[in-house]
Amino acid sequence: MKTLRDKYCIVGVGETEYSRSSRRTTRAMAVEAIRKAIIDAGLKAADVDGMLDYQGGDSTLANSVASDLGIRFNFYMDVMGGGSSTEALVGLAMGAIEAGMCNTVAIYRSMNGYSEFRIGGTGARAAQPVRGLDLAQVPYGMRSAGQSFAPTFMRHMYEYGTTSEQVAHVRVAHSKHASQNPKALLKERVTVQDVLNSRWIVKPLHLLDCCLETDNATCIIVTSVERARDLKPRPVYIMGVAGRVSKPRLDFHWAHGPISRVAGYYAKDIVFPQAGITPEDIDVTGSYDAFTFTTMLQLEEYGFCKKGEGGAYVSSGIIELGGKRPNNTSGSHLCEGYTHGMSMVIENVRQLRGTVDDYCPRAAEGVHTYDYSPGRCRQVKDAEISMNLGWAMPATGSALIMRR
Amino acid sequence: MPQPVQYRGMTLIVPDNDSEWKEFYEHARAHRLVVRKCNACGLMRYPPTHACPWCMDLGWTWQEVSGRGTIYSYEIVAHAIQPGFKELTPYAVVLVELDEQRGRPTADEALRVIANLVKPDFTPEPEANVAIGKRVRVVFQDLADHMALPQFTLTEEPAQGRVWRLPG
Ligand SMILES: [Zn+2]
Repeated sequence: MKTLRDKYCIVGVGETEYSRSSRRTTRAMAVEAIRKAIIDAGLKAADVDGMLDYQGGDSTLANSVASDLGIRFNFYMDVMGGGSSTEALVGLAMGAIEAGMCNTVAIYRSMNGYSEFRIGGTGARAAQPVRGLDLAQVPYGMRSAGQSFAPTFMRHMYEYGTTSEQVAHVRVAHSKHASQNPKALLKERVTVQDVLNSRWIVKPLHLLDCCLETDNATCIIVTSVERARDLKPRPVYIMGVAGRVSKPRLDFHWAHGPISRVAGYYAKDIVFPQAGITPEDIDVTGSYDAFTFTTMLQLEEYGFCKKGEGGAYVSSGIIELGGKRPNNTSGSHLCEGYTHGMSMVIENVRQLRGTVDDYCPRAAEGVHTYDYSPGRCRQVKDAEISMNLGWAMPATGSALIMRR
Repeated sequence: MPQPVQYRGMTLIVPDNDSEWKEFYEHARAHRLVVRKCNACGLMRYPPTHACPWCMDLGWTWQEVSGRGTIYSYEIVAHAIQPGFKELTPYAVVLVELDEQRGRPTADEALRVIANLVKPDFTPEPEANVAIGKRVRVVFQDLADHMALPQFTLTEEPAQGRVWRLPG
């Protein structure tokens, strides 16, 4: 597989407030997030000549967003797609620049994910008629993401003895990290027992196994190493990227097992050879935590532990701040707020810059205490290489490896 | 011909020009579970698709299957999303592996179907009776003159392999 290792960078990131009631349009939020990312990169609007965004009929297209900011395009595209689009669009941005189509691409996702279009199928999505492939599952009361993914985790429990208690540790770790994050919606640390005591949503998932639907917009700016050289922030180099890699039979992935296997099984063989490294070289991970168990499945599939040992791995302390390889240091979808995958990449960019926005007074200058008690620091000391594990569903995933 | 079918607050749409589900549901209304069988390689597939995923041949015929199988995985919905399902909670959604074509053409492939696990009156089978490995057979829930939903119900046959359900 061809590699563009270290030729492209992420130079700017930005996001709006995470809330459950934005009281404004996705256009307004997108403009704010993109503007912040442009300023973060030390760029001007005229320097951004490419744009990519993703959505599911719930957002504003690039044409109006860019015009608000005075951006003229050499390239833009609006993509239909859900989770795991983040990493895939980073790769597409690199491709567009490599092809000479443009120089700098802003990638955004803007969604009133709680107050307007809820992913789970309630809110504005509730009245949609059922047709086509949806007929294979929706008439059976299987519509939301939790309902669509739960049999994957159930089968993993059957095959490997994985327990609810083990994956509850993912929530525990992410809540610990959110307690160091001023942006997080849920800053309170929880225990394994809190997760197990929370009400059932769809067995084997408790309420606290599920992420937090949120209103927000997020933005990531990609450019070439040459363009990044004279910019203000320390560039974060892209070592490898795999986008929207699928299992066989994406129409109905249940037909082609093992169903406890997820798409990372295929993506790992693209992204690690591109980067020329192994999981052991990664200092911090960001996984798509739509649910506690999605993090477990992905860490396992990408080889951070053996297949089937994900439960033991995520409950070992390794994934917590202060552990060997912290995961989702912002608190991410479970605790910070749901962003459809963007925030875990943004967080890793800040980790690699050394300027995570925690409660350390001089965080912006890269001065941290590394005191991981509540309300303090969440910077990983000397983080050099990060990896993102993007998820759309058990059968579709993406990956991104970055270095400072 | 087919009007939209109302079921538990949902509008199920199978238009006249539908080339995947229309005949499938007509067979189901006659209480036959059918899948598509490739005219070239003979392998069966579900849900209905237009080319063979193994040999790409476009030719196929409807093939009736026994409707007998084993619960391969499942979930118990405690918090319904669709309003029409709230009165049914907790209800089981099962992934059933049919007896035909198990482990073919490769070891991890099979004809698998999503449905509810129901009692003869189509109310949910109690959660304590739902487990991986239990044997089931298809039953048909008539929704309209031209449409029935395949569902599954437990049988008295001995379980296949290890029987397991979520502890608690
Ligand atoms: Zn064939």
